[in-house]
Amino acid sequence: MKISLNLIRKYVDLPEGLTDEQIAYDMTLRTVEVEDVENTAKKFHDIVVGEILEIKEHPNADKLRICMVDIGEEEPVQIVCGGSNLYVGEHVVVSKPGAEVVWHGQGEPVKITKTKMRGKSSYGMICASTEVYLSDFFPNEGEEEIVDLKGFDCKPGDSVADLFGMNDTVLEIDNKSLSNRPDLWGHYGIARELAAIYDAPLKELPKYEIPKVPEYSVEIKDTTKCNRYAAVEIDGIYEKTSPMWMQSLLSKVGQRPINAIVDITNYVMMAVGQPLHAFDKTHVSGEKIIVRNAKENEKLLLLDNNFIELSTDDLVICDESDAMALAGIKGGKKDSILPDTKGVVLEVANFSADSVRQTDKKFAEKTEASMRFEKGVDTQRVDEGLNLALRLIKEIFPDSKIIKYADVYPNETKKNEIKVSEEFLDTRLGKKIPQEKIEQILTALGYEISLNNGEYDVIVPTWRSTGDVTIKDDVMGDIARILSFDSFEANPITITFEHSVKQNDVLLERRIKEYLAYRCGFYEIFTYPWIEEKYIKSAGIDMEKCVKLATPPAPDLAYLRSSLIPAMLEAVAKNLRYYDEFRLFDCEEVYEKGDYRPSSEDEILPIQKNYLTGCIVGKDAKEIFYEAKGVIENMAEYCHMEELKLEKLDRPTWADVNAYLNVVKDNEVIGTLGLVSVKVMADTKIKRTNVAMFEINTDKFVPYASRTNEYERLPELPLVEKDLSIIVDEEVTWKQIEENIKAKVKEIEFVDEYRGNQIPEGKKSVTLKVKILNEGTTMTSEQINEKMNSILKTLDKRCGAKLRD
Amino acid sequence: MKEKLEEIKTKGLEKIKNVKTIAELEEVRKELTGKKSELSEVLKSMKDLSVEEKKTIGMMATEIKNTFLSNLQQKDEEIIASMSVLDEPIDLTIPGKKVSGGALHPITQMKHDLNDAFLSLGFEVFNEDDISSEKYAFDNLNFAKNHPARQSMDTYWLEGTEDKEGAERLCLRPHLTGGSVRYLLKHGAPARFVYPGEVYRNETTDARHERAFFQYEALIVDKDISFSSGMVMIQTILEKVFGRKIKTRMREGFFPFTEPGYEIDMECLVCGGKGCKVCNHNGWIEVMPGGVIHPNVLKSAGLDPEEWTGFYINIGLDRLVMMRYGVDDVRLFHSGDLRFLKQFK
Repeated sequence: MKISLNLIRKYVDLPEGLTDEQIAYDMTLRTVEVEDVENTAKKFHDIVVGEILEIKEHPNADKLRICMVDIGEEEPVQIVCGGSNLYVGEHVVVSKPGAEVVWHGQGEPVKITKTKMRGKSSYGMICASTEVYLSDFFPNEGEEEIVDLKGFDCKPGDSVADLFGMNDTVLEIDNKSLSNRPDLWGHYGIARELAAIYDAPLKELPKYEIPKVPEYSVEIKDTTKCNRYAAVEIDGIYEKTSPMWMQSLLSKVGQRPINAIVDITNYVMMAVGQPLHAFDKTHVSGEKIIVRNAKENEKLLLLDNNFIELSTDDLVICDESDAMALAGIKGGKKDSILPDTKGVVLEVANFSADSVRQTDKKFAEKTEASMRFEKGVDTQRVDEGLNLALRLIKEIFPDSKIIKYADVYPNETKKNEIKVSEEFLDTRLGKKIPQEKIEQILTALGYEISLNNGEYDVIVPTWRSTGDVTIKDDVMGDIARILSFDSFEANPITITFEHSVKQNDVLLERRIKEYLAYRCGFYEIFTYPWIEEKYIKSAGIDMEKCVKLATPPAPDLAYLRSSLIPAMLEAVAKNLRYYDEFRLFDCEEVYEKGDYRPSSEDEILPIQKNYLTGCIVGKDAKEIFYEAKGVIENMAEYCHMEELKLEKLDRPTWADVNAYLNVVKDNEVIGTLGLVSVKVMADTKIKRTNVAMFEINTDKFVPYASRTNEYERLPELPLVEKDLSIIVDEEVTWKQIEENIKAKVKEIEFVDEYRGNQIPEGKKSVTLKVKILNEGTTMTSEQINEKMNSILKTLDKRCGAKLRD
Repeated sequence: MKEKLEEIKTKGLEKIKNVKTIAELEEVRKELTGKKSELSEVLKSMKDLSVEEKKTIGMMATEIKNTFLSNLQQKDEEIIASMSVLDEPIDLTIPGKKVSGGALHPITQMKHDLNDAFLSLGFEVFNEDDISSEKYAFDNLNFAKNHPARQSMDTYWLEGTEDKEGAERLCLRPHLTGGSVRYLLKHGAPARFVYPGEVYRNETTDARHERAFFQYEALIVDKDISFSSGMVMIQTILEKVFGRKIKTRMREGFFPFTEPGYEIDMECLVCGGKGCKVCNHNGWIEVMPGGVIHPNVLKSAGLDPEEWTGFYINIGLDRLVMMRYGVDDVRLFHSGDLRFLKQFK
């Protein structure tokens, strides 16, 4: 919403010497966010009135003329112009060199310079309205026509900004920050805030005495939706333009001037926030206005000759035969003011916020009127709107006459009453505010207030009683903001040392992330909760169990993740464009249909689990598999949590037929690990590489309360380290080898395995490292040989192993 | 003979002097002091000399040998001191080996920084689930029945529940605030806790808007505290994040779940508060809304608003990270793009 400070100053005497920027800043801190401060005269610099003294043909161009123009300087200047409506004596708008204009009304402003046009020098430019920001005032200007200031009281050299009332500052306010303040949707409401902020007097709005006239016929059929309806029939109204000061104000606040009667209704709305409507009186058939719900299949004809289909919960304003307007939103074709209009019926009404919002939403186009009504306007504002409108009508149409009048008023906005104790204010504000200050602020905002035994009886003004101010906290908030939150000193927060914050699960989550990132070389990613269907299908995930969105971001993004694997596959595929080898992890929630009640019995949510998914991308499948396996195997130890085991139980849908394991904790499968299958890679366009992936439900992790490293005394005697290469059948696993000789050695370590040259078909060579130790004495070479022979013998007997020579 | 010895000495010392390497030195050592050295030869030929002469020449020869030995020793030390372990030249401008390693997402890094700061103020961390209900996301938080945020144009409702109401109408949470009531229902008051997380809004995305974004909310509930304590908290947090005191201002703001509500702006770090494109030329950047917890919210959490009060602050993590590093497209946070992620160590 745009606010003209010139109009504000009509309502409140602001302190001397305040800059516009300061006003904007003070308002931003205390009332609403001012997004922009525009000096409306600025863009009119070096744009003046000129009078054409002489017109000559241009020797080199058919369409151009050479004009001698008086622009109030010592000598007339020569300007080349292509306007089609030039005549001697015409008052025109001249942009002098240095002015900034919008060429042909399009694009960014361009600076005017002295120039030559087809060989003839031109001092500036005679402008069309769109070029000098005046199109609001000259809506009927034809193509190639320049502004003709006929009828304007002006002389050469006059400032065009002055002529059009542009010496003003306009504040642009974010509409969103006004959504809870229906009282601020007009200049008078803003003026009231400024009066409170600066402790300046707010002027009263004008009154208008309505003469005794017969009653206009108004019937409200649904009084839950229409709280008040005032109708005034006025004769002597005809189509004419409104005075420049009114057009100027409307243009500055973003309303295009139309004609005097429409402009008056818009002006009143901008001034006091009360929407109004004017019907051509002769179009109201039966001279009766009925406010009712639309009938089944009823239609409303709009100005653009289109119909809108109404339904029975839309409130409409009708005459005896048809619907004429959508209540509180917009008028139809039937009521419009035309050249033959001789009188109007002026509507000043109050419609319920719910009703307007509901209808508004359906037709998806908000109007200035509906934006105000849906916030909840107080019924008393009808009086302010009516008074101001009637005064303006009398001023602009001096011969007009009120013929009939009605004010049907079924529901009045009641003032809320609230008790606020001094003690409450002192504690919550964090300091004692003197009673006079509180009274001054609240009174300026329109509250009635009295202090009795340490308690304020506060009566809320009607314009804040439509839902805005209902409890004592709201009153406290008003005091705090007008004083400015910044004026309160920061009160320290006390910390009591009853117990330290110890959240092992929170710490574990961080340890795991840091383990993966900083120790294992993974990069953390975040993915969206909605997954493209093709990736879910590729990963072989059961879509029956998945939760879906009602209105997804895109049609193929309706499913929410039940696993992080699909999103990880997508991330892998995308990153393969730039990298061959990388590691990623994603730690987020997944969802699945089910019954989960985290907070109360009435709320049944889908099951939500925290998953950790990681991947290692690289060419050598076995290598990356063992790397991923190592990441899981070492996780518990490095992250200080209870042990995880790896066992081959069930193949995950996305995994290779052979290379997969399950993560097991306390006999429960809590995750999977494996190479991504050939099929899944083909489906997800992962080419020329391999991917090892794991996914674990981290809710099942049990953190240790403290670090759990085990200390062992350092051995007094040196360990003897021996490498051993053996040849075994393919079927013999490392685990078998390890289990069989574990008892004989201090430590055993896998070194590598080998197939190929010198190794018979169906066999493999395994190299291992053992560390042996004789308790008490240093081992002799005989003892070492004896031990190694014994180890070999066992391996031969249990695993059929032969020493590789 | 004396002359011969003098010559051996002079030539020998000259040789030692010219030695460049340890190997050469060994050669010279053999040549000068070995069994086949000239000096040995001289000594061998001494048998024909008189006792007197033997004594003199012998002493001279020994002295020369000792001189050789000490010079050799000295040369040896000299060479070792100037020797390199490298046997070839080294280009010192070749970059060192890369430290390999991954990284946490910049949002997580910021979250951990904030967690540390809040932990020092005695806050707990609470994690609410992503999927919530209208009851917890709106009803409990004093949102009007017809508040536009409840529409499907704003909030992602779950299929099959979108036409239901309250606890039965489920959604991806549109903000974190609902979690405050969950925590308070479980743990009661007094309480101070943070609840970071991701929130979801049905929006059109561009460089500044996302459908999924990160927030970080903190709440204190206690007796007899004033909203002005919130300012201390805000200052502490910003100082932690940016490493120095950051100028802030607190201004009027409106949220259904607060009364009063406020917006907290920090000075624009791009222009230092002078006004630039980033801050829309006003020198301030909106970083966190906050406010005093609305009595109706306390009631939803089973707390008596006459007894308890408190305040929120809500930090837009995306915005803060963007401010911290000058990131110009919010969508990068969900891109999973390593070219982006590798920039944050």
